[in-house]
This record gives sequence, structure tokens and C-alpha cells, in this order.
Amino acid sequence: MQSSEQEEDLRLLRESARTLFDRAGGSGRSRKLRDAGGEFDPDMVRELGEAGVFGVAVPEEQGGLGMGLAAGGVIAEEVGRVIAPEPVVATIGLGLGLLRRLCPEHPKLEQLIGGEASLAVAWQERGPGGASADATCRYADGKLTGGKAWVVGAGGTQDFLVVAEADGGPVLVLAEASADGLVTTRRAQADGSSLGELSFSGTPAAELACGAAVQGALSEAVADATALAAAELVGLSQRAFEITLDYIKTREQFDKPIGSFQVIQHRAVDLNVMCEVAQAAVREVLMRMDGETDASIRARLASRAKARAVTAARKVTRDAIQLHGAVGYTDEFDIGLYLNRALVLSAWLGDDAYHRRIWFDAREEEGAAQ
Amino acid sequence: MTDWNAMSDAEFRKEVRGFLEAEYPEELRHLPHRPKFAEIEHWHRKLHTKGWVAPAWPAEYGGMGLNAAKLLIFYEEQQRWGVNRGRDMGVQMVGPLIIKFGTQKQKNYWLPRILSCEDIWCQGYSEPGAGSDLANLRTRAEIDGDDFVINGQKIWTTMAHDATHIFMLVRTDPDAPKKQQGISFVLAPMDQPGVEVRTITTLSGETEFCEVFFDNARTPRENLVGELNKGWTMAKALLSFERIFIGSPSLAQNALGQLESFARGRGAFDDPVFRDRFAQAALDVEDHAALYSRFADQLKRGETLGADVSMLKIWVTECFQRITELMIEAAGPDGGTVGPLQVGNVSVDVLASFYKARPTTIYGGSNEIQRNILSKAVLGLPD
Ligand SMILES: Cc1cc2nc3c(=O)[nH]c(=O)nc-3n(C[C@H](O)[C@H](O)[C@H](O)COP(=O)(O)OP(=O)(O)OC[C@H]3O[C@@H](n4cnc5c(N)ncnc54)[C@H](O)[C@@H]3O)c2cc1C
Repeated sequence: MQSSEQEEDLRLLRESARTLFDRAGGSGRSRKLRDAGGEFDPDMVRELGEAGVFGVAVPEEQGGLGMGLAAGGVIAEEVGRVIAPEPVVATIGLGLGLLRRLCPEHPKLEQLIGGEASLAVAWQERGPGGASADATCRYADGKLTGGKAWVVGAGGTQDFLVVAEADGGPVLVLAEASADGLVTTRRAQADGSSLGELSFSGTPAAELACGAAVQGALSEAVADATALAAAELVGLSQRAFEITLDYIKTREQFDKPIGSFQVIQHRAVDLNVMCEVAQAAVREVLMRMDGETDASIRARLASRAKARAVTAARKVTRDAIQLHGAVGYTDEFDIGLYLNRALVLSAWLGDDAYHRRIWFDAREEEGAAQ
Repeated sequence: MTDWNAMSDAEFRKEVRGFLEAEYPEELRHLPHRPKFAEIEHWHRKLHTKGWVAPAWPAEYGGMGLNAAKLLIFYEEQQRWGVNRGRDMGVQMVGPLIIKFGTQKQKNYWLPRILSCEDIWCQGYSEPGAGSDLANLRTRAEIDGDDFVINGQKIWTTMAHDATHIFMLVRTDPDAPKKQQGISFVLAPMDQPGVEVRTITTLSGETEFCEVFFDNARTPRENLVGELNKGWTMAKALLSFERIFIGSPSLAQNALGQLESFARGRGAFDDPVFRDRFAQAALDVEDHAALYSRFADQLKRGETLGADVSMLKIWVTECFQRITELMIEAAGPDGGTVGPLQVGNVSVDVLASFYKARPTTIYGGSNEIQRNILSKAVLGLPD
């Protein structure tokens, strides 16, 4: 349960985040950035940093606001509502999630909170059927070799945080984007963003942390980012639903608004219920994750959130197109932007089918352990 | 002339397959976008020389004269080999209309030009205010001497920016007591000062449909097809043909084939959950084909199709969409990635298939409208 004080804090946070994004131009800003071929706006990143957005979930003693993941979720929902292309969730969940757990003294932490630095996290590797379970990216004698895949925010970042294997186990290292022997290939995504594929050949990098703690912090950070991505999808779905609701109230065929046809009304109600269930589930998950220390339970909670949010976003954005008719299939209406963004956010960090499997396996393991 | 219908099904299939495999250009297989005519022109020339442009038209008009069974085989083989439909609105829509309702003079003039693709057609039905409620169309055609003068706007006109002619429904009697009355069917050239085309970008960034504006555009009165003010009935007659075409298993079958090779390459079949979902999709496609051949048999026997044909479209388009969702699932972390994804030696453009599947439940009479038709005309449910 939330205290009413905490509830009020989150409400105020939501209001100020919404105002900030709306003043910046809402979804129209995202469209303009995409059309200009830019991935995100560095000025916006700075502005978000100044507003304290990135530091919401970082403890106060480390320079953040100490409001927990629940507050991160509030921000993520607002990001989703305006389909902002800035890597807010990746920064809060992965970048800051790793730094604050492994090396809170590192100056990058403060710079990242302030929106003065950009940092993309490279942790996954490509295997034959998707993400590989084994890491082959090596770190030895201060240099990286191997590759990483699906790096969010790779275009336009100054530095990469890389999780690699060293002789003594996993390490977290920092490599400059302009470092020797680093080739970044961008793969275009449906929403106009891109994912980076990195290839290192003797790329110099500085070690920030090593040992089992790196693996532990990575799992925690990935769980945080997964739950926050779910929140971003919740905000996105909610807004896509609102746009659709407006449309079916105004579009007329057969001399009445199409929203007067009972089949359309029932569809709209189903979407609304779907959005509300997803929002309730994801908000509950984030709050429970804040109070939970057991890493495997946190991971299971995050999977629950992402599974629900992806299912909801898929249903809402696909039906939204259908209810718009042909205009929904154009780029001129915003609803298509929401569909495209949902495709990207759903694939990132695992879709619903993937997370339902993880959730079930984790549940079985916990059962066996009891 | 070969009597294709006299061949056994197996013989005919072999003949079609042999020609496509030998002659269809490799680089055009499974094209992810709608091509402009120039891109597929050399293939069209081959088809034309072979006399295979219009498989469904009677032989006397230059078609292959295939019966329903043979036609099905022809389309199956095309889909199997990933053969592009080409710019087939002339063959699929205008041709049958003229054959059924046109004068001898119209047949003599237009049909050969459709076959040779000298004329490339687009379909001008929908308007901003006339989508599902097509009878609400407002584009006017007024008689002025030997011409119609056309004013108004069409929208969602597929490939209008690469067409020489448009076949359109226009309002010729604005005072008719019912919306469905006073509509006529006319053919008009696009290349004239009164016609302006603006392309519309789709959500996947393609430019495949357009707005077409008419500002005192002209077309000769002899380009009226059928009787004046009787266009609605004719359009409906065409629609029932369109519905069996649009309800054919081909798009879903083709996507299923792509899903299978992609999922196999990605190792997705190691997962029993995915296997089950694939099996569901595969059976959805196979069982739909059984229903489809029931309707095809009706055509073979020379019967006209009833309103129940709408069920084919509902089933197969929604199935097509589920298959493309499964492709995205199999793509895992690459599920939001634009362009072809390589697995082993196959390459599948997952998002292109996904985008292609989306509007199939919107065009050709949306699936909601098809359900309305079924509930009223087939189930007899009250208003
Ligand atoms: C890719 C694409 C290509 C196309 N190509 C062409 C072309 O070449 N030529 C051409 O003329 N047109 C073309 N169209 C247009 C197509 O025919 C229309 O999109 C279709 O008729 C639906 O009309 P609409 O888009 O205006 O949607 P609307 O009619 O506004 O419908 C919006 C939503 O309301 C629902 N709805 C409407 N009425 C009812 C009702 N009574 N009961 C329940 N639900 C209802 C619809 O099902 C839909 O979900 C194309 C469309 C697309 C998407």
C-alpha cells in the first residue's frame, strides 16, 4: 500500500512531467525529430536532467530524489504518452541502475542524473536464434574484443557501459564511443530510432567494477528497466486509446458517429478495460519492487509487468488502427506512430510470450525452494 | 489455343509451376512493397507474350478462360513462388466490369490495352466522407456536350500516382431519392489538367496510396460503363467477385511459409509453446482452404455466390495478421527492426509482412462491415 503522502508526491511528479513534455511539443516533437532523422534531442535530455527526471529512483545519498521505481514508472508513463524518443527508461533502469549499484562514486553518475552526459549500456550478445546466453565479449589488458547487440541510444551517445568477460569473471567497463577499434552499426527500428550493434577489436576501455557483483547488478538493472519499459507501454497504450476514443466520437459514416455502433462501443470498452488492468498491474509491480530485496522475486515481478503491458499495447495499438480505418494506416495521423513505438518497446527486453515463460519458471523455482 | 481446362489438375499445375520457375525474375520474388509498373514491366511483357495476363477472362477476350479450379491452382502457384500480382486492377476489376456490362466498342478498345498494360488502372471509389458508407460519395459528374465534367475528390486510391486511368463511381443524379441511386460508373484518363494526385505516406513509410482531386476534369460520355445512374448495382456485382478473391488463402499461405522458414532458422520450434501456436496458425490456414474450396466449387458449378462468402475474408485476413504477429514473436529482440532479417540462407522482412497484413481487415469492406453483412443477410438477425 502507498501512503497518502507518497501518493501525493507521485501525483505532483506526474503533473510536472506531463507539463514538461507537453510544453516541449508532445507527440508532435517526436514526429519532428523522426522526420529530421534525429534519434533524440540532446537539449531535451539536459532539460529532463535539470528537472530531476533521471534521478528519481536514485537514492538521495547518491544525488538522486530517492523516490523509487514507482516514481520512475510515473516518468516512464509520461514518456510513453508522448512517445518521446529520448532513452529515459534505458538511462534510469540500465545506466543509472548499474552505476549506482556498482560504482556510485564515479563522476558519470552525477553527470547522467543531471542530463549532462549520455551513456548507452551494451550488455546483450547475438546468438543464432536471438539473444545469446553466453558472453563472448572479452576484456583483457584494458582492451575489449568481441561484440554486443541491441544497444539502445547507441547513436548519439558519448560513452558505452559494457558488460564483458575477463579472466576473473564479469566486468563493467567504460568505452568512449569514439575509441579506436570500435565499430557501431545502427539498425533502423520501426519508430525511427535505431539499435546499435557494436564490434570491438582491441578497443581501450576503463574497468569500473568486477566479479559476481557485476552479474547481480546487471540482473537487477535489467529487471528495473523491464518494469519501466512496461510503464512506458502503459502510458503509450493509454494515450493511443484516448486518441482512438476521440476519433470514434467524431468520425461519421452512415450519418452517425461510428462510436454509436454497438460493436465499436464494445471494442472501445474492451480496450479501456485492458488499459486499466495493465496500468494497475504495472503500478503495483513497481511499488512492490521498491519494497522487495530478493532479486529473483523482483525479476519475476518485472516479467509480470512486461508481459501484461506488451499484451495490452499490442491489442490497443492494433485495434486503434482498425477503428481509424484507412487514416489509421497513414503516417499523417499520430496513431501510427504509437503502433510503431509499441513494436519497438515490445521487442526490447523481451515480449509478452517471453516474459510469461520467465514468470512461470521463476514461480516454479520459488515453489521448489519453499 | 490451349484448352487449359481440359488438362488434369496435376498437369496444369506442372505447366504453371514450370513457367514461373523458369521465367519469373528472381529479384522480384516476394517483393515487400507494391512495385511501380516500370519495376515489373519486363515480367509483364513475358506474361503478355505467353497470353497469361488475365487467367480468369474468357479466351475470346484474350484471357486464359480458366475455370474456378484451374484459377485456384494458377493463383496458388503464383503465391507459392512469390510472384507479384503486378498492376492488376485493370485485369481484376475493370476488365470483368467491361466484359460484363460494357458495349462491344468498349470491349474492343479497352480490353487489349489492359492486357498490354498500355493503360494502367486505379480504383476511385472511396472519398473522405465515403469509406464504409460508400454510397455517401459526392464526387459529381455532369454531362456537358459529349463529355462528363468531374468535380470532387477520391482518397486511398492505391497507386494512383503510377496509373494512366481511373475507374470511378461518381454521382450523376444528386436529386435521386436514395443515396444508392444516381451513382454511375465512369472511366477517366488521369493525364489531364483537371486531375491532381497527391501521394499519402503509410505508417511504414511507403507511398502506395493517394488522394486524387478533380477540378473540372473531363471524360467522354462514351466512357460511361453500363447505364447512367446504375453504377451502384454494378459495383456490388463486382464486389462479390472481389470478396472471393480477397478471401482466398494465398496471402496467409504465403506468410505461413515465410513464418515457417524464419522460425525454423531462429530455433523457435525448440519451444513447445511456439510449436503449438504455429500449429494453430497452420491449421487455421489449412482449414480455411477447405471452406474456400466449398465456395470455389459453387463457382465451378456456375452458381453465384451468396453473402456468406464474406466469412472467407474475415477468417483469412485475421489469420494472416496472427501469422505476422508470430513472425514478430519469433524475431524476438529484432521484432522492431526494419528491413529483411537474415537467418541462415533465408531472409524474411518481418515488419513488411506485418504492415501488409494490417489493412487487409480495413479494405475491401472492413471486417466489421463483413460481420454486419453476415449477421443480417445470412443469420437473419433483426435490426
Ligand atoms: C491500404 C489500403 C488501400 C486502399 N485502396 C483503395 C483503392 O485503391 N481505391 C479505393 O477506392 N479505396 C481504397 N481503400 C479504401 C478502403 O476501401 C476504405 O478504407 C474502407 O472502405 C473503409 O473506409 P474508411 O477507411 O473510411 O473507414 P471508416 O468507414 O471510417 O471506418 C472506420 C472504422 O469504423 C468501422 N465501421 C464503419 N461503419 C461501421 C458500422 N456500420 N458498423 C460497425 N463498424 C463500422 C470500420 O469497420 C472501421 O473499423 C484502401 C484502403 C487501404 C487501407
